[in-house]
Amino acid sequence: MTPDRRAFLKASAAAAAAAAAAAACAPRAGTGADSANGLRDMDPELLGAVAEVVLPSELVAAERNAAVRDFRAWAGAYEAVPELDHGYGTAEIRYGPPDPVPAWQAQLQGLELESQKRHRLAFGALEVDAREALLRRHLRDAGPTVPNPLQARHVAIALLSRWLSTADATDRCYGVRITPQTCRGIESSPREPESIG
Amino acid sequence: MSRIEEADVVIIGGGITAAMVAEKLTEEHDVDVIIVEAGTHSSPFDDRFAHRQRYMDYGENPWPDDHIEDQYADGIMSRSMVVGGQALHWGGTTPRYTPEDFRHHSMFGIHQDWPVDYETMDPYYQEAEERIGIAGEQGPEPLDPRGAPYPMPAVPLSWTLERLREWVNEAGVPTWSNPVSKNTVPWRGRNVCQRCDTCNVCPTGAKYTPEFSFQQMLAAGRIRLHPRTIIRRLELADGSDQIHAAVGRSYDDPETDVIYRAKTFVLAAGYTWSPHLLLLSAQGRFSEGLANSSGCVGRYMAGHRNVGAMVDLPMRLLPGMFFGHSLISKYFQRPTAAGGPGLPNGFMRHDFRVWESTAARGPRLRDEAGSLLLGDDLMADWRTRTATGTARLRGYYDIIPDRDSRVSLHASQRNRFGDPLPQLDFRDAPVSRDLRGATEASISALFERLAAAAGGTVTRTFADETQDHPGGGCRMGDDASDSVVDSWGRTHDHDNLFVVGAPTMVSGGCNNGTLTFSALSLRSAEEIGREYPAHATP
Repeated sequence: MTPDRRAFLKASAAAAAAAAAAAACAPRAGTGADSANGLRDMDPELLGAVAEVVLPSELVAAERNAAVRDFRAWAGAYEAVPELDHGYGTAEIRYGPPDPVPAWQAQLQGLELESQKRHRLAFGALEVDAREALLRRHLRDAGPTVPNPLQARHVAIALLSRWLSTADATDRCYGVRITPQTCRGIESSPREPESIG
Repeated sequence: MSRIEEADVVIIGGGITAAMVAEKLTEEHDVDVIIVEAGTHSSPFDDRFAHRQRYMDYGENPWPDDHIEDQYADGIMSRSMVVGGQALHWGGTTPRYTPEDFRHHSMFGIHQDWPVDYETMDPYYQEAEERIGIAGEQGPEPLDPRGAPYPMPAVPLSWTLERLREWVNEAGVPTWSNPVSKNTVPWRGRNVCQRCDTCNVCPTGAKYTPEFSFQQMLAAGRIRLHPRTIIRRLELADGSDQIHAAVGRSYDDPETDVIYRAKTFVLAAGYTWSPHLLLLSAQGRFSEGLANSSGCVGRYMAGHRNVGAMVDLPMRLLPGMFFGHSLISKYFQRPTAAGGPGLPNGFMRHDFRVWESTAARGPRLRDEAGSLLLGDDLMADWRTRTATGTARLRGYYDIIPDRDSRVSLHASQRNRFGDPLPQLDFRDAPVSRDLRGATEASISALFERLAAAAGGTVTRTFADETQDHPGGGCRMGDDASDSVVDSWGRTHDHDNLFVVGAPTMVSGGCNNGTLTFSALSLRSAEEIGREYPAHATP
């Protein structure tokens, strides 16, 4: 290690407040306890059954459940028609969409009803292949791009899109710990991220 | 009804130039300063993590209440009107202009030279870099002249950016770490960058935003800050060309005039609202606006456009390591400097930046055959398409502003007080219009050449239609007949009225302008300070 580098690291380490800030900037793990107060009632078991179809199978049950919890917390904490970012170069003040949750709730109920009418089974009781076949009928208009989850026309795509926006999804795709948009410090930036394998 | 406020210096506007002027003035002189800002205080620092999270989760504005609903303009670049100004949102990119930017006429026979040159500006650049806190890498000396080192070590290149640097450097374009207002060491009470990569709302405070300066000055009792107060006109003293008062209204008491009296008035309201206030203040023999005997107020609005491209590269890249950081080169800005590429095409110059990108390599729901991808199929497709990478390239090129590139008073749009709002119409001078096609073709050809050097391909090229990083409207000059202020920012017509920062720029250069107009503001502050006693040496 060069003296300059050492001095730089020492100075960086001295920034105790920054370290505290970094700790507060952990990889995305839901929108916090406060959001639970506003949680809308999307059936977690139905969402879990959807997640098993749309999320990759490499996610174990606990990881899928965490993705569902994150999705519910995220949706529950949404405040309809928020003022959107109007960063430099954007003079227009734009607003986000109305609350998508009621439509998503209705879609989940629709999946359940259709499953019972087609198969005389709850959606969650269907084999994964049968769930996927049913779900695909509802997603005929989806794509080709992954929409912002707030703009997703179907709850299954919203759930998938939300998970795909996580650092975990990016890291799984690349097979290394990039952990984008988490506060990671600059000293590790030049190093090749470590493998998650 | 009216209320009177008095100070030595009244600064109108609460953005980065106001912060620079107030900081230098009050550090070096015994001077009573009031800053008047139309917008409100920015949200508390402690709220930034929460605002950042909602920005990431929902795209929400991370700076709530940062604009005023009925203060807008056709053609404006940003609605920010808040303590801290547009620099709350900024990415923190802070390159200097190059010597050529100040000498268009003497070097290329076009437009006009600034009344200051790069050598004159160098110490003010350095001071701005110290005050803001700039982390930078010294580029090759002929391309990147500096009188002293950067205050801080550069933001280190990410593993991905280092791969991109190897590519473009091997292709013959020297690049280095972009200078930014992001701390790499603790600086003036602010944190070290944590690479959170949401630089438009830096949750750690490692990126400089002007409200830090205001808070420090307020805590030390060095300034008075009057937010939510809009200045509607400047008034001349009876029988004199001196400014006697700035008259405004508080949004909290909109029936009462607030009359600011001062020895010196400083207009620090940016490229739109500074010329706009001068035009609104037309009176007496200045029937076309204060400081406007030249007819140049609101004219020669300057900026630059860019050409950008996405390049597919046959190399493994890991985007997301630091989207907010980039490579920079001044190779094409200094074409006739030692080692430069030469000047084959008129006065054509441009900057060059390189970023990591995920363009066209994000996950997708349909493959080429139109099949819906879910679960494992989606992940497999995503992994296949990210086995190689994408770079984003961009070049901002020089535009010579036309005299009719303007801020004017809108014919019909008015704010709640009945004052006409501004209208912006940017226009290239003929010499720039004539060169536009060749310039954009030349930059596109460069991108093609760079892509080919790595065996890659340009997948998309795009060109700006608007002018970015605007300035001008109160341009500086030695000749009072074709400029608004002198090289210090003092208006030719009113010796106690200064215009500082972006409006005074003669041209828009071909890179981000904030550092340049911050440096110009510090130079103005030096001149303003001569009127006030220096602090006694301890």
